[in-house]
Amino acid sequence: MSKKSRPSLIKLFLREASLVAKDHSLLLTLLIAPLLYAFFYGSIYINKEEENVKLAVVDDDQSRLSRLLQQNIDNSPMVELIHFPNLEAAKEYMYQGDCQGYFYIPKGTQTNLLSLKQSNVVLAVNAARFLPSSDLLASVQQICLTIGAGVRLQYFEKTEGLSTAMAMQNVMPINLDYRPLFNERSSYGAFLLPALLALILQQTLLIGLSESVAGERQHGTFKEWLGGGVSTAIWGKGLFYLFVFGAYGFFFLNVNFKLLDLPMRGSGFQLGVLLFVLLLTLIPMAQFIGSLFKSQLLCLQIMAFSTYPIFLITGYTWPFESLPLVVQWMSMLLPTTPFIKVYTAIVQSGASLASMMGPMLHLLLLWLFYSSICYMRFRKLRFS
Amino acid sequence: MQLIAHIILREWKRILRLPVFYLVMLVIPGLLFSFYALIYEKKDAKHLAFAIWDDDKSAISRQLIFLLEQRETLQITRSVSSEAEVKDLIQKGEILGAVHFPVNMQKDIFSRHKTNVTLYTNAASLVPAKLVYKAVAEVIITGSSGAVLKKLVKTGMKPDRAMALANPIKLNSYQLYNSNYNYQEYLVPGLITVGMQMILIISSMLALNYEWKTNTMQELFELSNGSALLVITGKTIAHLVVSWFNFFLIAFVIFPFFGIGVWEATAKFFLMYTLLSLACLGIGMFISALFKDVMLSGDVALFYTSPAFVFSGFTFPRWAMPWYDQYYATIMPYTPFLDAFFKVYYMNLPMRYAQADIYKLLLFCIVMFPTALILFQRQFNTSKNEQEVQAVAN
Repeated sequence: MSKKSRPSLIKLFLREASLVAKDHSLLLTLLIAPLLYAFFYGSIYINKEEENVKLAVVDDDQSRLSRLLQQNIDNSPMVELIHFPNLEAAKEYMYQGDCQGYFYIPKGTQTNLLSLKQSNVVLAVNAARFLPSSDLLASVQQICLTIGAGVRLQYFEKTEGLSTAMAMQNVMPINLDYRPLFNERSSYGAFLLPALLALILQQTLLIGLSESVAGERQHGTFKEWLGGGVSTAIWGKGLFYLFVFGAYGFFFLNVNFKLLDLPMRGSGFQLGVLLFVLLLTLIPMAQFIGSLFKSQLLCLQIMAFSTYPIFLITGYTWPFESLPLVVQWMSMLLPTTPFIKVYTAIVQSGASLASMMGPMLHLLLLWLFYSSICYMRFRKLRFS
Repeated sequence: MQLIAHIILREWKRILRLPVFYLVMLVIPGLLFSFYALIYEKKDAKHLAFAIWDDDKSAISRQLIFLLEQRETLQITRSVSSEAEVKDLIQKGEILGAVHFPVNMQKDIFSRHKTNVTLYTNAASLVPAKLVYKAVAEVIITGSSGAVLKKLVKTGMKPDRAMALANPIKLNSYQLYNSNYNYQEYLVPGLITVGMQMILIISSMLALNYEWKTNTMQELFELSNGSALLVITGKTIAHLVVSWFNFFLIAFVIFPFFGIGVWEATAKFFLMYTLLSLACLGIGMFISALFKDVMLSGDVALFYTSPAFVFSGFTFPRWAMPWYDQYYATIMPYTPFLDAFFKVYYMNLPMRYAQADIYKLLLFCIVMFPTALILFQRQFNTSKNEQEVQAVAN
């Protein structure tokens, strides 16, 4: 038997290659979509972060202080100020969707400050959009604190007669030194892109391979495919995908990462091992899913809706611990969940596989799990 | 009218009978949309694992730790003793951030020396990193202002004046339309509506060409007297009614069940939803009339619809994208829908603010339906020959 199985693995590999070449849908999904999506989606975040978020400003104070505030805000790369004569016009501009909030400096701001009274300024942001509003809030808050510190500095210098160096130490007794690790600029692109590339690889493999298996059932070639034994059939077909997607993985890491200027802090070899294990897990998983369908079209339709839910529950965009328990269990059944933990650790923070043994073991267990259920399902279908 | 009614009825029967329709149009919406709402059931991320590295062990550091413990966002799970340990724990995913209070922090504050408190976050996980930063920064700013305040009061300054100097420019910030940054309120309506766009296009792209697959094109031809206009009108109405059924599910079942949505804006949501549905149906009909091959049609529809969420600017603004991606975004109906949705739904503004977006959605209908009509009429005319129908079906 073992003598027979070796050539049939290669035969099945070649059979799959010829099947894909003849099936334009598989050809599109497997050969064109991964590359096109990787460049297409990748380009969205090529600038990595947003800049020049528009903020309307109304200055009723028209003082040196109000001008200083505006000048500092406008100098921030994150914000672009647009001046309005009154609040109504500024609000209207925000309602039209042309700016993301408004900043109001009321009359008497400078006078209050000079007479040692607290000055109040107002920032209203459109929090219906999270990213621009939170970026605006952080920038303006920082500028107000800095100018506030400047006010204290002048006070200590003038009133208490302290030297600039001494006054500086009084201005901000506790300074917050913020060190965002593994994404120093806290940029959205650097955060999302590595995972996005991995997701493109995963989803095109899942959709393409499950479609191929559904096609075997639809075209009545399922039993012929399983002729050389269930395991041989799974890995014969799977070998083609392992080869093609292994090559895509190599391409993404070497070309797309460079083009998008993404850091790769860990070992390329270890990342290769991780990718290999992921592909080994996805292959039986995709084949199991495909075997649930008798129509290639229906398989494509249903699988099209899997991308967002899978991505949202892996713990990448939303902390795993903040998911409801039932969703955490579902997430644990996806190879993406342990994969993305190890992948992010290697790519973004330079970790080693040895330090990520827990999620690696999880991924290997999922490989066993999907191989087993795929094997059992195919055996059942073979004898039905 | 009677002919159109027959076509509508016939289409509803097909939708209920054929899995390529009922699974996508009737089963997936309920399951998928409820799942989206369930993911964000906790509304915001709380109790993020956080470590303390206290080299000062003073009354002030204990006070600051106490204030950090009061923040719902943070859950202090570890005590660490070096930067290497912080990095290692962050790498392993055991903590999302850590704060370091340096040696002599209290002494420095009392002796008018500046002290640095270091905050580490795992910025590779951007959402928790931002939340951790916000929580810690608020505590440190409060602590710093408190220290300034104490010093000034000690010098004999009146408390109100000291307060004014400790925080001279008070920023009163208002987060309009989602004051608590509730992720469920923010993401779920967007995910659901982009899901609807996909559902509408992925099902309607089979409305015409699937007739070849089921060998029923001739029957449709006879029923409509060979009029592509009647067929497309009837099928569009049938699909639109099913999409209204899904609107009911979204607005009156899922949103109230999970306690999300802006109830007062439901009517405006319905209007925009209907326009989005019509634009999507127009695109679906166009694809269906263009490709006889249903698989090719499926691939095109999938390729077209799947990037809608990211290109629409929902999570990452369009103005920050390169110009060519901004142009690509305009050829998807979800983009103008989203712009209008933000205004009339999330912000609950009057419909006039969505005027330009409404025109854009109507433009999709004006271009797509007539094009689909011309393409399908040509196919329909050739289908008169029964033999040709059989040949294509086989």
